[in-house]
Amino acid sequence: MQIIKHKTNIDFIGKRKPALFISSVLNLAILVGIAIFGFNFGVDFAGGTVVELKFDHPIRADEVRARAEKAGLHDVSVQGIGSSSENSYLLRLGGVTQLTPESAVTAKQALEALGGITNFHADVQNGIINFRSAQKLDPDRVRQTVTGSGTGVKEIRDLGPAQGGGQDYQAVASGMADRITSAMAAGLAQPDFRVQRVDYVGPQVGNQLRNKGIAALLYSMLAILVYVAFRFDFKFGPGALLAMVHDVTMVSGYYLVSRREFNLTSIAVLLTITGYSINDTIVIYDRIREEMARYKGKPLPEIINIAVNDTLSRTILTSGVTALSLVGLLIFGVGEIWDFAMAMLVGIIVGTYSSVYIASPLTIWLDERAARKKAAGGSMKVRPA
Amino acid sequence: MGRSNWGRWVIILAVTLGSVWYLIPTYYSFFVLPKSQRNDEKALQARLPRWAPSANHRLNLGLDLQGGIHMVMRVDTQTALQKRVERRGIQILNFLKDQKIEGVTYTTNPEKLELTLKAPDSATLDKVEKEMKGFDDFTRVGRTQDSVTFQLKDTQVSRFREDAVDQAMLVIRRRIDKWGVAEVDVRKMGTDSIQISLPGQQDPEQAKELIGTTAQLEFRMVDEKSNHFSQLMAKHPPPADSGIRLVRPNAYEQLEGKDRDQLLAFARQDLPPNREVLLQCVTAQAQKGTCDSYLAYLVDKAVPLTGESLAGADASRSQNSNDFEVNLSFDTQGGVEFGKLTGDNVGRYMAIVLDDNVNSAPRINERIPSGRARITMGRSLGKTDEQMYQEAKNLELVLRAGALPAPVTTGEIRQVGASLGDELIRRGSLAATVGLALVLTFMAIYYRKSGVIANVALVLNGLLILAGLALFNATLTLPGIAGFVLTLGIAVDANVLINERVREELAAGKSSRAAVDQGYDRAFWTIFDAHVTTLIAGLILLSTGTGPVRGFATTLIIGIVASLFTSIVVTRAITTYLVHGRGAKVSV
Repeated sequence: MQIIKHKTNIDFIGKRKPALFISSVLNLAILVGIAIFGFNFGVDFAGGTVVELKFDHPIRADEVRARAEKAGLHDVSVQGIGSSSENSYLLRLGGVTQLTPESAVTAKQALEALGGITNFHADVQNGIINFRSAQKLDPDRVRQTVTGSGTGVKEIRDLGPAQGGGQDYQAVASGMADRITSAMAAGLAQPDFRVQRVDYVGPQVGNQLRNKGIAALLYSMLAILVYVAFRFDFKFGPGALLAMVHDVTMVSGYYLVSRREFNLTSIAVLLTITGYSINDTIVIYDRIREEMARYKGKPLPEIINIAVNDTLSRTILTSGVTALSLVGLLIFGVGEIWDFAMAMLVGIIVGTYSSVYIASPLTIWLDERAARKKAAGGSMKVRPA
Repeated sequence: MGRSNWGRWVIILAVTLGSVWYLIPTYYSFFVLPKSQRNDEKALQARLPRWAPSANHRLNLGLDLQGGIHMVMRVDTQTALQKRVERRGIQILNFLKDQKIEGVTYTTNPEKLELTLKAPDSATLDKVEKEMKGFDDFTRVGRTQDSVTFQLKDTQVSRFREDAVDQAMLVIRRRIDKWGVAEVDVRKMGTDSIQISLPGQQDPEQAKELIGTTAQLEFRMVDEKSNHFSQLMAKHPPPADSGIRLVRPNAYEQLEGKDRDQLLAFARQDLPPNREVLLQCVTAQAQKGTCDSYLAYLVDKAVPLTGESLAGADASRSQNSNDFEVNLSFDTQGGVEFGKLTGDNVGRYMAIVLDDNVNSAPRINERIPSGRARITMGRSLGKTDEQMYQEAKNLELVLRAGALPAPVTTGEIRQVGASLGDELIRRGSLAATVGLALVLTFMAIYYRKSGVIANVALVLNGLLILAGLALFNATLTLPGIAGFVLTLGIAVDANVLINERVREELAAGKSSRAAVDQGYDRAFWTIFDAHVTTLIAGLILLSTGTGPVRGFATTLIIGIVASLFTSIVVTRAITTYLVHGRGAKVSV
């Protein structure tokens, strides 16, 4: 059985200019879109709390949201996961702890009303309030005071006597997850849901994770570039690199347009796509190199066209089969895994395209430039006589 | 079959059998052991046949698949450092008073960790600056007319941060230990974070206990005269299989046992009034956070002194006796109390208790009036200097943990319910099976016989990946399953490349044999380059990634190596055997 009859002779390279133009416009649009709208960062990167609740009776997303709002959670986002018969919802809140800049102010006022409070310092990011009291305080009283001011307290810590006199205390605010579950169960004798999953990422950890992810992406691109330059000719390098950048941008575009959550798994997708993209590009490069040795003297565009045509059935087959292996994930995957499979599918399509229309044309362009330079250098030699 | 092919077949057979062999512990942990014991390495080791690989070579399920709690704690070293600068301020002031330098006051800048000393005149300030040379944990950063400012040295800050994280880790380990949870993974992450994995744990309340205040340190007197333990042994002999026995490593009797709860319940029977039984965790491997056995102490119920009055602790090696020791210093009030406590109890043993665990029980040799005490670590037979130093360092950390609160906050909590985990396993394996089935069917239809050969390689590839994960004791996570599916795609690609090449060679009019040989030869470097580049991406992902990303990278890397082997070595051996040995026509 064959999908493609043996010798195709499609002029891929002749259409490289319109293809490059369209790709450049798309890529630019995506980059501008990212700058303006930004990604829908998941808790991994943005910090925050996600709670997955499975209700034991059918419930609609707007009912879940209404219940949350009734209990005072106004900025909660509700998203159904899986099929609607599963009654599972993701509830996400931006904050990590119940301490906000506003509630810190009210907590400060409430504490100062106790008298003798100095050195008040609220660390909103970590949900910590530090303060010093002239006299020893009863921890329960401190707890009541802070809780009464609207910030749930997990713990009051006695940090010991301060050297300049007085006693140091620390109040640790409760996490948002508690607030979500208690809000959802408010007014019920028995919670009608089960907490399936809690993800809670502090903002500092989130930044660390994001920086590490981006660093991983850049390093791997660089390492692959070095390998390509080493194994092939250097003029193949930029083409491969640009194809990778193109694919990463296009898949980012998928995340941008679909508003799917951009998280650690997304970084894994982008990295796989770079690997896949380079894989695809290299197969074609390999063929170009082979054909170059066979047809010495033929212009490069022609050789590239032959190479792309020769590898066409393999390119389509491989992409098709890899896409086929994702079908299972697309059917049975939920949440993160479905997102993974979908983004991979987009990546496979753009990766196949970029090997043909991005990587190869750039090689031609670099080759032509090198040829022009050589010609210019030749004429320079003539002149000084 | 050609002679040169013998070696190849031996390798293929060895790799296949080796893979199956390495999957034995995994098979036992999933299908032989009850689910509740799935994470229990000891139970698994006990069940494994003797010829099987050791139990640590098994495939673990990630927290996302089996349920559990993953936490990252941040140690708030900044608060602790601020307190330290203040404490040093007081100490410096007292020292200056001792040197008859009067009228000096100090202020601190908590953000910059600076200490500013103010003096009434510049002559005094000169003297202050001269004396401050002795406090070498500070550097002078500036001077105005009436004040001079010092900053905590960077080396001090980073050492302190490191110590603070070590302390917090120790405390967390001990607390987990108290619950008796098996298979807990506690490790340092970056400079100021601690990562904790509690597989199978569902109780967030318990997890929260970890984040509580720093350890509670107490000093209690050991009752060395009582014969409570020997009476117990005589009156209620413990069951033979409990392993509880009477020991006398020191001048008093103690009980030793393997099971914490059992030992505690036994030792607490018929307790004399005003006495309490506390346990010490005996580890064979220090720092591993697991207890091999427990030692019971009979101590006074009264707590004469707590760690609140402890100002510092330092482990060092004695110049005179070459023994390891830990030096303690108390604040003024604590020093007086400690002097009285030691004076009243010369010759007795004092248990240092942290979070209700006895850490050690040194003997009081004399009254210690100065507020400075020294605990000399007894020499035990067969312990290396390194181990002795580690013990001293541990004790230092324990004491400091009680003395210096470095608050711990939660950086990250990921909790997955067990039912969700089960469902994810079901869906994940279903997805992988469907993906695999689709690919296998397609290959068999499209390439016929060659497709079937490729399918054999593909199935072997899956086996190799699982065995590879088991060999490295890796963890299978949800992203790991995705990586598994993806590597199947890559393995297919290698076979497509080869088969397309063979087709081309056939189309060029070559014989079956020549087409197979040249097809494989020509496809080799393409496959190699393509695999190496993906491998590079995987390796970088592994070295920089965290958590779920690492699981994905591990599967990807093992899968790439397996794919290289199956596509280049295995399918070629089979095809060559068929075409060369049996004279079959290649069918692609």
